[in-house]
Amino acid sequence: MLMQTKPSTVLLVLDAAAVTLGPLPFGPFSMTVRAGERIAILGPSGAGKSTLLTLMSGERTPASGQVQLLGRRLSTWSLPERAGVRAVLPQSSEVAFGLPVELVIGLGRVARDHDPQLDSIVQQSASLARAAHLLGRRFDTLSGGERARVQMARVFAQLWGVNDGLILVDEPLSALDPGLQLDLLDSMDAYAAQRGHAVVAILHDINHAVLGFDRLWLVANGQLVGDLACAADAVPALEALYGIKLTCMTTEQGDLVITPTRRLSRHAAQESMAVAA
Amino acid sequence: MNALSLHLRPFLQLDKARPAALLLAAVLISIAVAVQCGAVPVQGSDWLAVLGLADQPTATAGSYVLWSIRLPRALFAVLIGASLGMAGALTQGLFRNPLADPGLLGVSAGAACAVALTIVVFAGFNWPIPLAWRVWVLPAAAFCGALAVCFTLDGVARWITPGSIAGLLLTGVALNAMAAAVIGLCTYLANDEQLRNLSFWTLGSLAGANWALVALLSVLLGAATWRVRQLVRAMNALALGESAAAHVGVDVRHLRRNVIVLVALLAGFSAAWCGMIGFIGLIAPHLVRTWVGADQRKLLPLSMLAGGLLLLLADTVARTVAIPAEIPVGIFTALLGSPFFLLLLRSARSRIG
Repeated sequence: MLMQTKPSTVLLVLDAAAVTLGPLPFGPFSMTVRAGERIAILGPSGAGKSTLLTLMSGERTPASGQVQLLGRRLSTWSLPERAGVRAVLPQSSEVAFGLPVELVIGLGRVARDHDPQLDSIVQQSASLARAAHLLGRRFDTLSGGERARVQMARVFAQLWGVNDGLILVDEPLSALDPGLQLDLLDSMDAYAAQRGHAVVAILHDINHAVLGFDRLWLVANGQLVGDLACAADAVPALEALYGIKLTCMTTEQGDLVITPTRRLSRHAAQESMAVAA
Repeated sequence: MNALSLHLRPFLQLDKARPAALLLAAVLISIAVAVQCGAVPVQGSDWLAVLGLADQPTATAGSYVLWSIRLPRALFAVLIGASLGMAGALTQGLFRNPLADPGLLGVSAGAACAVALTIVVFAGFNWPIPLAWRVWVLPAAAFCGALAVCFTLDGVARWITPGSIAGLLLTGVALNAMAAAVIGLCTYLANDEQLRNLSFWTLGSLAGANWALVALLSVLLGAATWRVRQLVRAMNALALGESAAAHVGVDVRHLRRNVIVLVALLAGFSAAWCGMIGFIGLIAPHLVRTWVGADQRKLLPLSMLAGGLLLLLADTVARTVAIPAEIPVGIFTALLGSPFFLLLLRSARSRIG
């Protein structure tokens, strides 16, 4: 794969970045994202995954510590500059007024003043996100799965001609049927690999993480509790993270499949947490 | 054009220009018809006199009425309607909501409220304002009133659940009620002359039209259009939601501030010169949106044309339906607009929550 054949640039550095929302402290987070990396953020609901992502996107400024994008403090980047190297695929996406699909996809490139290739890029991003047949329709007439595809095409369009960009993804696959989930994971993968983009995605399905990602960030109670390679030996940490028992299987094709079997008792979960730590 | 063709370039293409050309033609024809209507008949020779082509330069009654009364009034109606249409389209884009309207949300009422306070209360202070500036006192007051309401709405819309239509409209109800109370208080305190001035504002009328106002309003509208042209791409991105708009590189705070100032300018100055004329800003963008879709690059200019056309038609009917009396056009638009709003509510009921 491309990312392994060339020395990869450091894209994003979180340097003890921390923020407090109400009474809840999040962080400090200290991580590094390199170009071409594929990182899945896993953790129970409310653990702070989305907060971590907003720190990385610059939507939230850390109260202490700092975030650097390509070696420069993120807060000194203008919004159009940020939009040129990092795209965000949001969790839920309402678009007001029923804009035409091609316009929604084209909005990914709205920060560019001069964009002669816009039409063809919109076409290609739509094809890549399996949304080409939706061009010409109104966004508000689409189903949930179709909307997710259009939003993904918008993200593809945003970083189309860019190399070594950063794509932040907040739970993109929940609205889709299983076949489409895998299709989109694949197209995201192909898109990112061609351009050396790093992908950091919040996921709920462990198997999606295993299938398309190299590295896992485990988040619980507003803290990073694990930063490990995506492999079978991550299972104990995952069991501790969710408080469940997991079973690993390897398919005939050699893919790793992880399924929950039964819930651990609270005591056992704490015990395995101690082991993992 | 097939379904896959992309309408993304800001150039005027033939199929894009057609609705604008149709509306513009409709506006011009309506102006021509509107100036024919009224108590004094206008002949073809009067037109020639107005255009400077008549054989004898004697001014007839018809040509005087045409040049000094009807033409400025028709143009004024178109320009005010265009301001209201654009203000409405901008408000709807800003709040991502097809039910938002400067009148319903209290922006016009805020402007009228500031004007009422200026007429009744501040007039008593006898501030030494140079004569040349006096024309601007009421528009400036109206602008400030509209601006205050806009920023209040923007703030409230933020701490009420974002995107909630009901919350926004209820805030508008509260602000309208407050403005009505202040206007009522001013009415109570006013002397006879002030009262006459005040009722002009609360009813809404285009009777104050003259060429100077037409020129002023053209300049204002031209400037607003020029500014809107720069914002219109970002306005589309706002439909994605605030955080997504920021992610694609739009400075949402800057955009909101700009749009608010524009809305206050358009709605405020309209209110200052012709009182509260409701529902044009609601209906015009809505009709345009059902016709050509929600792309702001088409919606904003077409809403101006549609608003101008609507107000011109409404004003022409309002001043001719009961000759020699003249119904204030604000009453007329409210009579027609309220049922329209109810219909809109009905179609939008699934989204109100």
